[in-house]
Amino acid sequence: MIRRVGYHVAMSVVSFLWVAPILWVIVISFRSFDDVAANGLGSLPHSFTFSTYKSAWEDADEFRALINSLLVTIPAVLLSLGLASIAAYGLARYNLPFRRTILLLMLMGNLLPPQILLIPISRFVELIGYYDTLIALIAVHVGFGLGFYTFVLHGFMRDLPREIQEAATIDGAGPGKIYSAVILPLTRPALAALGALSFTWIFNDLLWSITVIRSGEKMPVTPALLGLQGLFVSSWNVIAAGTVIAAVPTVAVFLRFQKHFVGGLAIGAVK
Amino acid sequence: MTGLAADRRTFLKGLGVLGAATLVPGCATSTKSPGSGSAPTGQVSLQSNLSSEQAKAAMEKLVATYNKTGGSQVKLNTVAAEIFRTQLPTYLTSSNPPDVYTWYAGSVADSYAKKDLLLDVSSVWDSMGNYSKAMQTLSTSSAGQKIFVPTSYYWWGMFYRKSNFAKWGVTPPKTWAEFVAVCKTIQSKGIPPIGIGLGDTPWVASAWFDYLNIRINGAPFHRQLLAGQGDFTDPKVKAVFTKWREVLPYFDPKGKSFPFQEATSALLAGKTGMFLIGTFFADSAPKDALDDIDFFQFPIIDPAVPVAEEAPTDGYFASKKAADPDGVKKFLTWLATPEAQNIYVQSSSGTAIPANPDGKSADTALVKKGKAMIEGAAELTQFFNRDSSDALQPTADAALTKFLDKPDQIDQILKTWQTAAQKVFKA
Repeated sequence: MIRRVGYHVAMSVVSFLWVAPILWVIVISFRSFDDVAANGLGSLPHSFTFSTYKSAWEDADEFRALINSLLVTIPAVLLSLGLASIAAYGLARYNLPFRRTILLLMLMGNLLPPQILLIPISRFVELIGYYDTLIALIAVHVGFGLGFYTFVLHGFMRDLPREIQEAATIDGAGPGKIYSAVILPLTRPALAALGALSFTWIFNDLLWSITVIRSGEKMPVTPALLGLQGLFVSSWNVIAAGTVIAAVPTVAVFLRFQKHFVGGLAIGAVK
Repeated sequence: MTGLAADRRTFLKGLGVLGAATLVPGCATSTKSPGSGSAPTGQVSLQSNLSSEQAKAAMEKLVATYNKTGGSQVKLNTVAAEIFRTQLPTYLTSSNPPDVYTWYAGSVADSYAKKDLLLDVSSVWDSMGNYSKAMQTLSTSSAGQKIFVPTSYYWWGMFYRKSNFAKWGVTPPKTWAEFVAVCKTIQSKGIPPIGIGLGDTPWVASAWFDYLNIRINGAPFHRQLLAGQGDFTDPKVKAVFTKWREVLPYFDPKGKSFPFQEATSALLAGKTGMFLIGTFFADSAPKDALDDIDFFQFPIIDPAVPVAEEAPTDGYFASKKAADPDGVKKFLTWLATPEAQNIYVQSSSGTAIPANPDGKSADTALVKKGKAMIEGAAELTQFFNRDSSDALQPTADAALTKFLDKPDQIDQILKTWQTAAQKVFKA
């Protein structure tokens, strides 16, 4: 009994530590600028205002930034998962020559630190005339996600029973039909988990958006938040409010796919 | 599926080759020579790093006013200051760069001119005869071309709250001895006399180095040192730190943990006595505290050294590849006028001073005092990074932060600094 109580007390403290920074951001987002300036960021709130949310929404044009973010994130997630599942299907279900090498090569691309590729990518995108477009950003995200998603889906598809595919073959289904009617529905848990993960990754990306996009009005929400910071002085309360708004889509996706998250992280980890 | 991996592999390889190809010859390969090839588009793009609410609004107003005058239309594009800083080299070297950029005068602009990326704006300067000599020097590249159009500047000073100084019974010091005496008095009241904020903003410490150096060794020595013509192990540099050590016990010990914006709050709340900072800090002060803020000039140490002050100058430069150089120059000429600068100064935070001597600065006692101090200075410097380069700044941050922690190791610190600086200068 005492051990149980002790466990819960200790875990409550740990989870509070975990949540505290988020709570802190939320508290700051409701404070006025003069309050923050006079009492410092760390002090208890002396004011309460909603105007921070209004200025984040209007002055920072967060609505447009959120739309941009979704315009990039949703196609990028669908496209990369679609392509990755086709690749994983071929690699996992057929005895293609060099399939291990192919898989390792794809994964190797993911091991490269993205920073090395910043300049080549920005030059390449410029060369093919897609610099400063959302299409370029989608392409970059698809390219970078593909290796890892294929690897994870490959691990999942490999473990599906052989007999199902054989039964489908006997019933006269070709590779395309087997993929769409048999394998893909069975891969749904993995796709849901990866979908949620990749949504978060792509939505939260900052590096690639500032590399391939130059116009303020095309920037997704993360660089737009950065834009709330001034050259020297930043209105932390407005930034906090903007951050809270920007977190809504990812939190919504997380809540919707919550149960897949833990399962998804373990996919491919266990043989 | 074999194709995919092969594609990816060749794709990566191709990227590498492309990257190398575009990097090595710089911009030369894909450049259209200025003015030729494309006809004037009538549109000028302005890339701005002034992303804070007030400054952005001021820029929008400025551009809207210009567009009403007719001629070329300017399209303002504001990106976050941090993104702008890191992406500026990419913007300038891209094949279709923005035309006009907000940036800083002096060697930071000159470093791009040396790479032949900036438009020669000498013709714009024909209409800027009334600008001070210092402004002209700052806007001239090492090749002797005018490459920059300054529009405003601000100043640094030792800021304090008038009411607190009155409460503690101290008056603004003029000399170093008086300054140390003021520190002693404030400390005796249990308040850390000198505020500083180095967490996240370690560059704030460079203001102390700059000021001590220009007070002890003079501005010419300071400039040479930052340009790589001096040596940080020079005994004259060590003298700067010996002087600094005299007041080190008066620094706020908490200052290492928070950024300067928090240090501003500490000053305003009376938790520190004085704060060596640029006027931009006023943006982070509550409106009701502003009337109570005053500053004094960094104390004079050696009366024989001509008085120099830090006056960081902001303005614009343009890309050499601008599609419509005449439109760009017309816009820059307009930006140099007192009318344009008044619009900006009035709509922004109000502590900036127009670069055009005929421009009207904000009509507050604080700004008048600052302007008088700058105009009375025999020499002007800007700030550590602006007088050297953004690459040298981190070496200063490392050395100065270390010095504040372990002032005994000064010889070792200066040696390390010199080694680090040499690497930057050779690069």
